Amino acid sequence: MSKRLPTSTPVDGRPPLWRSLGEKRDPAKRDREAVAEPAVQVPERSVLGRRRFMAISGATAAAIGLSGCMRRPEEHILPYSRAPEYVLPGIPLHYATTVHHRGEPVGLLVETHGARPTKIEGNPDHPASGGRTDAQLQALTEELYDPDRPATPLRGDERASWADFDAWWREKAAELEARGGQGLAVLAQPLDSPAMRRAREALQRRFPQARYHLWSPVPYTNARQGARLAFGQPLAVQIDFGAAQRVLALDCDFLGLEPGAIRNQRRWATQRRLLGPRDEVGRLYAVEGTLSVTGLNADHRLRLAPSRVEDYLRALATRLSRAEGVTLPDSVTAALGEPEISDVPPSWLDGAAEDLVAHRGRSAVCVGWSQPPRVHALAYALNVALGNVGRAVRFVASPADEPSSQVEDLRALTTAMREGEVDTLFILGGNPVYDAPSDLDFRGALEHVPTALHLSLLRDETSLPCEWFLPRAHPLESWGLHRGPDGTLSIQQPLIAPLRGGRSDQELLARIGGVRAWRGYDLVRAALQERLGAEGFERRWRQSLHRGVVDAPTPPLPSLPALREADLASALGEARRARPEGWEVAFIPSYQVFDGRFANLPWLVEMPDPVTKLVWDNAAYVSPASARELGMDFDEDEPSTPRLIELSREGATSLTLPVYVLPGQADHVITLPLGWGRRHVSRLGHDVGFDVYPFRTSDALSFATGVQVRTVAGEYPLVVTQSHHSMEGRPLAIDATLAEYRETPAFAQWRNPTPHVGPLWTQVNYSTPRPPAEGGTSYDLTPDPRPPAPDAPARYKWGFVVDLSTCTGCSACVVACQAENNVPTVGKRQVALGREMHWMRVDRYYQGEETEPRVLVQPVACQHCEEAPCENVCPVNATVHSPEGLNDMAYNRCIGTRYCMNNCPYKVRRFNFLDWHGDLHPLEKMKFNPNVTVRMRGVMEKCTYCVQRIQRGRIQARAERRVLDTGEVIERRIRDGEVVPSCAQACPSEAIVFGDLNDVGSDVHRMAHLDRQYELLASIGTQPRTTYLGRIWNPNPEMV
Amino acid sequence: MAQAEVAPELGEEPLVSRGTSFGEITDIVSRVTERRAPRGWRILFALSATFTAILGITIGILVWTGIGIWGNNSPVGWAWDITNFVWWIGIGHAGTLISAVLYLFRQYWRTAINRFAEAMTIFAVICALMFPTIHTGRPWFIYYSLPIPNSMNVWPNFKSPLLWDVFAVSTYFTVSLIFWYVGLIPDFATLRDRSSRRIRRTIYGFLALGWRGSHRHWNNYERAYLILAALSTPLVLSVHSVVSFDFATSVEPGWHTTIFPPYFVAGAVFSGFAMVMTLLLIARAVYGLHDLVRLRHLELMNKIILTTGTLVGYAYAMEFFIAWYSGNPYERFAFLNRAFGPYAWAYWTMIACNVISPQLFWFRRLRRSISVMFVVSIIVNIGMWFERFVIIVTSLHRDYLPSAWGMFSPTLFDILTFAGSLGLFFTAFLLFLRWIPMIAIAEVKMVVPEADPHHPGGHPLSAGGARGSD
Repeated sequence: MSKRLPTSTPVDGRPPLWRSLGEKRDPAKRDREAVAEPAVQVPERSVLGRRRFMAISGATAAAIGLSGCMRRPEEHILPYSRAPEYVLPGIPLHYATTVHHRGEPVGLLVETHGARPTKIEGNPDHPASGGRTDAQLQALTEELYDPDRPATPLRGDERASWADFDAWWREKAAELEARGGQGLAVLAQPLDSPAMRRAREALQRRFPQARYHLWSPVPYTNARQGARLAFGQPLAVQIDFGAAQRVLALDCDFLGLEPGAIRNQRRWATQRRLLGPRDEVGRLYAVEGTLSVTGLNADHRLRLAPSRVEDYLRALATRLSRAEGVTLPDSVTAALGEPEISDVPPSWLDGAAEDLVAHRGRSAVCVGWSQPPRVHALAYALNVALGNVGRAVRFVASPADEPSSQVEDLRALTTAMREGEVDTLFILGGNPVYDAPSDLDFRGALEHVPTALHLSLLRDETSLPCEWFLPRAHPLESWGLHRGPDGTLSIQQPLIAPLRGGRSDQELLARIGGVRAWRGYDLVRAALQERLGAEGFERRWRQSLHRGVVDAPTPPLPSLPALREADLASALGEARRARPEGWEVAFIPSYQVFDGRFANLPWLVEMPDPVTKLVWDNAAYVSPASARELGMDFDEDEPSTPRLIELSREGATSLTLPVYVLPGQADHVITLPLGWGRRHVSRLGHDVGFDVYPFRTSDALSFATGVQVRTVAGEYPLVVTQSHHSMEGRPLAIDATLAEYRETPAFAQWRNPTPHVGPLWTQVNYSTPRPPAEGGTSYDLTPDPRPPAPDAPARYKWGFVVDLSTCTGCSACVVACQAENNVPTVGKRQVALGREMHWMRVDRYYQGEETEPRVLVQPVACQHCEEAPCENVCPVNATVHSPEGLNDMAYNRCIGTRYCMNNCPYKVRRFNFLDWHGDLHPLEKMKFNPNVTVRMRGVMEKCTYCVQRIQRGRIQARAERRVLDTGEVIERRIRDGEVVPSCAQACPSEAIVFGDLNDVGSDVHRMAHLDRQYELLASIGTQPRTTYLGRIWNPNPEMV
Repeated sequence: MAQAEVAPELGEEPLVSRGTSFGEITDIVSRVTERRAPRGWRILFALSATFTAILGITIGILVWTGIGIWGNNSPVGWAWDITNFVWWIGIGHAGTLISAVLYLFRQYWRTAINRFAEAMTIFAVICALMFPTIHTGRPWFIYYSLPIPNSMNVWPNFKSPLLWDVFAVSTYFTVSLIFWYVGLIPDFATLRDRSSRRIRRTIYGFLALGWRGSHRHWNNYERAYLILAALSTPLVLSVHSVVSFDFATSVEPGWHTTIFPPYFVAGAVFSGFAMVMTLLLIARAVYGLHDLVRLRHLELMNKIILTTGTLVGYAYAMEFFIAWYSGNPYERFAFLNRAFGPYAWAYWTMIACNVISPQLFWFRRLRRSISVMFVVSIIVNIGMWFERFVIIVTSLHRDYLPSAWGMFSPTLFDILTFAGSLGLFFTAFLLFLRWIPMIAIAEVKMVVPEADPHHPGGHPLSAGGARGSD
C-alpha cells in the first residue's frame, strides 16, 4: 500500500534510480517537471486519488449497505416469537401488528427478512384473525412497495419537504388559532383507535371551532343506526357463526365483504366441518340480489332484489310472530304490513320460519351493510324474539365518536365547503373526489376550499386538486392502537421506517393539533398508558408489542336495553311502500379492489373475482333472463359477453359499461362493483374497469330503483380466467346432501372411485429408507421390499387435503400463494390469452338452473401425484419426484418444452411465456420472498407445497436434534402443524390441511382418511397427494 | 443408340421414354446444374430466400422475447410449433420410404423420384428439427436434452418420449443423409467428368470421393447401398412411431391412443408422397424431365397416396370407434369435441383433404391428370397439417377439467415461423435442384431397356457401362 516511487535524488549515497534513459542522462529533468506540474494541475483537494477514491467508495458502500439493512423504525419494536439473539440472514422474523381492514382491526404477523416485510400472516392471538387473513390483506406488502408512492410532499406540482410543510403549517396554524380554528376541517377515515382519538382531542383543544368529519365509501353505519332505532343505543352487532346452527343472511355477505369476514369464515367453518356422518351441520339461508361468496355457500339461496329484501323480512317476521315461542311485540307485528312477495316461494316463509323457530337460541338473522337501518332493527328484534341474543348474537359497544350517518356527515362537510366555511381542509387518507356520492360533488366543493391537503399513499384523484399532497405512511410503516368491536386492544407496530417518508393519519392529526410528542410511537404509548396505568406499564407494553394484542380484560358486554317497540313500529310503518317496479342497480364493493383503495395492486386486480372469475375489470352483472330481455344474444358458454349497456337515473350521471351475465342474479337487478375505473393511480390508472361512483348518489349508496337501461352498440372485451362453468357431468367437485351423506358416507368414492390397482412397477416406499450402512442415502429412491424395521424413522409423506365443505371460494389462498412464491402478474391481455400464473386457482362450477344455480368451488393447485404424468415426459429431468413424494421443479434445469404442462391432467403448471417481471423498480424488488427463486422466462413453474417452508421446518428440526452421551443421535421429527403452506395458512375457513401422512396422529392423516375423501381424476391413476373432501349441503327437507 | 422395339413386360409402360439413350439421360439431368439457372428458378429462389430471412428474424425475436410471441398458452402448451414439427417430419418420411423400402422391394420405378424424395427428406427433417429446438422456453439450453456426461451427473430423462424423439429424428437424419450422399457419389463423378471449369471439377471431384466407376467401386457401392437401405427401412417405421409416442404415451384424452404409431406412419407416407408429387410436378415442368419422370411414375405414386389416404381415413374412424367403445367419458368427449367443438372446422377440413380428396384417384383418368394430381397433392399436405393441428390443439384445449379449458389462436409470429420454415425448405430445395443431379442418373440408366444385357439393342457390357460416367 505504501510503496511509492523513490525520487531520483540519491538517498544514502546509493546510485540514483531511473526509469528511462533520458532520465538517467538528466536526472534533474524529472524534478523540474515535477515542479512545473502543479501549475497545470487541478487543486489537490479535488483530485480523487486512488486512496481517496477507495476511502470514499468504501464509505459509500458501507453507507449504502447500512441504509439498506438498517431501515428499521427508530423506536423499539419487538418480534412476535422465537426471537433469535441476532438477526440472522435467511431466518425471517415475525412481528405482530394490526391493520384496520374493512371496518375493523385485524391482527397480523408479518414475516420480515432483514427488516424487510415480505409476507402477511394472521395473528392467532387476535380475535378478528385467529391466524388467518384474506386476499386483500395478503396484498399489503405489494401496497407497501408500490413504486408509484410519491417520496416527498408536493405543493402543487412542486416537490417539497416535510420541513416545508411544517414551516407552512406553523404560519397557517397561528392564523387559524387566532380564529379559534374556524375554517379548519378534517376529513378522516372511520377508525376506532384510542391513539387517534387523543390526537383528535388535541386538535379540538387547539382549534375548538375545527370541524371533524368521517367518510368511507362503504359505510357500516346502518347496522349501528338500526341498533339505535331498536335499542336507543348505537350498538354493534356481533354474530358468532360457529354457534349459530341456522343462519339467515339478508343481503349480507358475511363470508365475503362484511366486517369480520375472516372471523366469520373461521367460525362458520366450524359447523360445516364434518368428521363423520353423525356430525351435525349448520344450515345457511341467503337472500340476496347478486351471487356473493356467502350466496355460493348457502344451502338455500333466494334471489331477490336488494330493495325487496325488506319485504321478505317483513313477511317472514309476520310468519314468525305467529309461531309458538316467538314473541314479537304486537305493535311491531302490526307495522309489518303485508308486503307483496308473490314471487317468493312459500317454502321460504314456512320452511325457513319453522327451521328458525325449531332452532331458537341457536340461530341468527343477519343483515348486510346495504340495507336501511329499519331492516337491521327488525332483524335485531327477530333475534331477540328467537332468543338468539346472548348466544350467537351479541351486541357490543360501538365507537363513541362515530357519526350516525357518514353520508350525512360528508354532506354537512361539502355544504360547509361550498358555503366558504372551510378554508383549510385536511383529507386524511381516503379518496373522496373519486368515491364520494356524485350528488355531493365533492370535487366541485373542493374548488371553494382555498387550501386543501391530502394525506395519501398515492397521488390520486383527490390529491390533484389539493394544494398539498402529503405522503401517507403505509399501515406497515405506522404505529397505531386499535380497538376491536369486542373491545380487544391491539397494537400496530411498524415493520419498516416509512419508505417514502410518510406520516400516518394520527401523526399528522397530532402534528396539526400541536401535540409536542406527535410521533406515532409516543401517541400510542400515551394512549395505552392512559388505559393501562403507569404501574408496570413498560413490561405490559413490551408484552403487548410482542403479542400484538394488549393483555387487558375486555370490557363487559353492555347490557341490552329493552326493544323500543314504538320507535321500531313507527319506522317500519312509515316506510311501508309499494313494490318497486322496473330496473334496479345495486352497488357492491369489489372482492378485488374493495372500494378502489387497492386499485393499483396487480395482485388483487388480477385475482379472479371469486364469483365471476373476472380479472382486470368490473362489469354490470345481470341475470340471464334480464340479458335476454335486453335483447342480448349472449353466448351461453361465455358469460363474459362483451356487450355494453347504458344506465341512467334521475340525479345521477349516466353510465356505460359492459355486461356480465351472472347466473343466480335477481332479474331486473344490475349489480355494479365499486372501486374500478380509477383515473389517477399511476400504473394501473388506465382502462382498468369502469368507475360506477358517478352513478351512486347519497340517497342510494347501496341500491337504487327507477333505473333506465338500454343496450348500446359496441363491444368491450372482458377477461375471465374460467370460461367454462359446467362440470360436463364429470365427478370433479363432488357434493352430496347431508341425507345422502348419511346414507352413503363414501359418496365421493362412489362417484369417483380411487382405483386400487397399482402400476406394474414397484413404487417408492416412503416409510423405509435404507440405512446409510447399506448404501442408502437420504435421497435414496430405491424401493426396499423388506418390511420396515420397527424402529426405522419414518420418512415424511407430505399430503394436502381440501375440505370442499368449508372452502368458501374467497380466493385468499390465491393471493397468499402469489405473495409467498413470487408469482408474477401478467396483465389483462395475457390473461385473455390464458397465461395467468397463479399456482393456486379456485375453480367454480355451476349446477342446475341458471336462475338458481348450485355453485361448487374447488381450489386446484399441483396435486403432487405419486405417478406424476409430468415427470415421465420431461426430457431433461427438470421435474422429478422427491423422496418425500413432492413433485419438484428444478428451474435451472428446465428448458421449457411445456410437455409437462400438456400432460398434466389438472392443468396446474404455469409457463413463463414472457419475462413477466420485466424491469422492476427497486421498491418492487423488495416484496420478493428471498427463499423462493424468481423464475426467468422460458421455465415452467407450479405449486411446490411451499417447499421452502418444509425446508425451514426441516432445518429447525435438525437443529433441535439431540446427541446423547453415547453418541446416539435422536432426530426430532417435524411436528404436525410446524410446516404450513402459504395457502393453508391464509385460508380463513381452515379448509386446507397440510402435513405428514406418515404421522398417524396428524390432522392431515385424519382428514385424508375421512369417508368423504376422494382424489381428483382418480381414474387416471395419478395417485395425487392432494385429496379432497366432498361438499356436504344441508338443505331443509321442507324446502327441497 | 439402337431404336429396337422391346415388348413391354406384361403391358407395363417402360420407365423411361423409349429411345432415350444413356447419353441423353446424362445430358437431361446434368445440364440443369451446368447451365445458367432459368428465370423461374431465380424468381422462386429470391422468394424463398426472403422467407428464410423472415424465419431468421422471427427466430431472433423469439429467442430474445420468448415463446409468448406465439399464441401458445395454458392449456394449449403446444400449438403450431409441434404441429409444424410433426408435419415436416411426416413429409420427410417419403424419402426413406421411396429410397429404401421400394429399393428392397425392387420397385424400379422409384429411380425417377428417389433422389428428389431423399433431398426433400433431408430438408424437411432440417425444418422439423428446428421446431423442437426453438419451441423450448430456453433454447440456449437445448443441449440438456443430449446425454452429455457432466460433473453433476445429471442425465436426460430416458423415459421421456421427447428424448426418444431426439434420438429417433437425429438417427433418421444421419442415416438419410448418408444414404442420400452414397447414392450421389456416381452422379457427382459424372458431373466432375463433364466439368470444364477447374473449380467445378475440384468441388464435384471432392464430393465424388475418387469414384472411377470401376467394378470394385460398383461392387462396394451396391453393397453399401443395400446395407443402408436395410438400415433405413426400420427407421421408416420407427421415426414416426416415436414421434407419435409424444402423444400416445401421454394421459391426455385424444392423445392416449394405441393406434397412433401405425396411423402416424401411414399419415407420414401420405404427406411425404404428396409433397414429392408437388415438387416433382413443378421440377418436371420447369426442367422438362418428361422422359425420365413419366406419367406411369406419377400414377404409381397416386396409388400410394390413395392407399395411405384411405388408411388414414380408417384410423380416423377407428379412433372414434374406440372412443365410443372404451366407455371413457373423457375420451368420448375429446372426439365429439373434435368433430363438433369450436375447432370442428379444422377437423372437417382435415377429413375433406385427407380422406375425401384422395378418393379421386380411384378413377384412372383423374389419377393420370397432371392438374388433378397437383391440386390433390397440395390439398393432402394442407390436410395433413390440419391433422396434426387437430390432434394437438383440439385435444389440449379441452381436456379433463372444464375449468381449465381454453382456446388457441395463432399470432402473426406463428404464421411467420411456419411460412419461414417453408422458405427455408424451398431455399434448400432450390439449391439442390441447381447444383446436385436431381434425378439419380446412374440408377435411371439401370432401368432403361438397353441396360438389360439380354436386350437386343443393348450391348452385353452396356449394363456396366450404363451406370458409370460415359
